[in-house]
Amino acid sequence: MDVAHDLLDKHIVDRNGHELGRVDGIVLDVRPGEPPKLTDLLIGASALGCRVNPTIGRWVHALEHALGLGHLRPIRIDCTRIEEIDDKIKIDLSAGDTTADVVEQRIRTWLLKLPGSR
Amino acid sequence: MKKIFNVLLGVVTSIGGFVEAGSISTAAQGGAEFGFALLWAIALATIILAMLAEMAGRVATVGRRSMAAAVRERFGFHYQMIPLGAELMIDLLLLAAEIGGVAVAIKLLTGIGFQWWILPVGLAVWLVIWFGNFTVIEDGVGLLGMVTIAFVVAAWRLQPPLNSVATGFLPSLPNHDLTRYAFLTVSIVGATVSPYLLNFYSSGAIEEKWTEPDLWINRVTCYLGMGFGSIVSMGVLITAAVVLGPLHVQVNSYEQAALMFVPVFGRWAVLLFACALGVGCFGAAIEITLNAGYVLAQSFGWPWGVDKPRRDTARFCAAFTLVLLLALMVGILGFDPLQMTLISVALTVVVMPLMVLPFLVLMNDEQYVKTHTSGAFGNGFLAVLTILGALMALVVIPLEVFGG
Repeated sequence: MDVAHDLLDKHIVDRNGHELGRVDGIVLDVRPGEPPKLTDLLIGASALGCRVNPTIGRWVHALEHALGLGHLRPIRIDCTRIEEIDDKIKIDLSAGDTTADVVEQRIRTWLLKLPGSR
Repeated sequence: MKKIFNVLLGVVTSIGGFVEAGSISTAAQGGAEFGFALLWAIALATIILAMLAEMAGRVATVGRRSMAAAVRERFGFHYQMIPLGAELMIDLLLLAAEIGGVAVAIKLLTGIGFQWWILPVGLAVWLVIWFGNFTVIEDGVGLLGMVTIAFVVAAWRLQPPLNSVATGFLPSLPNHDLTRYAFLTVSIVGATVSPYLLNFYSSGAIEEKWTEPDLWINRVTCYLGMGFGSIVSMGVLITAAVVLGPLHVQVNSYEQAALMFVPVFGRWAVLLFACALGVGCFGAAIEITLNAGYVLAQSFGWPWGVDKPRRDTARFCAAFTLVLLLALMVGILGFDPLQMTLISVALTVVVMPLMVLPFLVLMNDEQYVKTHTSGAFGNGFLAVLTILGALMALVVIPLEVFGG
């Protein structure tokens, strides 16, 4: 499998079809004498930032820390949970099993205070 | 029957939603300074826009992905971040310019300075999106936009010499101010082929749940809708050419542009011009605001859609709200709306090759368009456009300095 082509930047959906985000980064287990092994998929701006430039990744992570999200992001998805790789990557988890919806929920609580939110 | 009605509505709303700050200002300047000579630029830009929009619509209909999503998936984030950053920057400037356009229109009607209207207009844009759904927004904006037909009526009533108008459709070199002419040509293309239109259009195809049998609707909406829409732009140019040309007026503000309606509409001129400008810019402001939310949500994989409950698309709502707030800040800082329009138009041209190149790959990738890949004609068009885009990108900054 071409990890960069088949996984990176693809949409991740949970078992109910709920969108969790895109594959912003991956974690590989590299041991001498063995081929690298994919262990996790990462979702989150800091993982994406790291891909562009490690310094940017650190800045974004510092910002996430300042917002009280540091320990929750990037979201790690164990690659054994991957169920299907097609147009999207389907995982055998529900959004609630991960921290993928933390930011969405925080913003939602603000939005619900606005008139006419539905 | 319902489908045909919807297609007709789509064509009508494309006409009503065609002109906005960028197209009105560039066409008015072109007409006032070079008569009918730049009509070909509007025609060429419309063909480019219609073909690109049809392709974006095809990827959305067949591949179920908007342009932003398709580019990120196919090319990766390293490539996408440049057009994405540029698109957000253009959206921001253009949004500030459109809101400025509405504010100037209200100023023309009330006499109260345009900066007082920036915040209320921004709030109105947000309220329409917050309370509306896609059909209400798209059709409402398009139907109200029919007031811009006033430009066509004006051009018609002025009875321009038809042979001169026809000659304008043939590209020609002017006998004065070549740099300015080239600048306006490139600006007209940049104002017409705006990146927000392409992503907004493809997102709309997904919002309206088009499927493969609907591809003909996509074609009709693009070619007929945008084709007829460009007549409104041409109306602006012709009216400006006939009325402002002989007076040697350079259109440096919307107030000057409003004069073009006086010989035709008399005491209604300012009212009609203000309505056409205001409604055109207001519609565009709504589309750009939504588009900013679309591109961010689609690029990062968040749930999005103006038809979905707001509670399920919280980040999408936050994204468009934030971009709107930033644009209002730019507007309040007091930049001239017309100048901002021209800067964003130039920026559009700079990133044009990066915007067009992905089409060349996506339209030949069966993962995105299945059997509906582009033929030799479509690919040839994209290849020529990429080269043309690169040439325009190289010359636009010098032209902006010397001809703008």
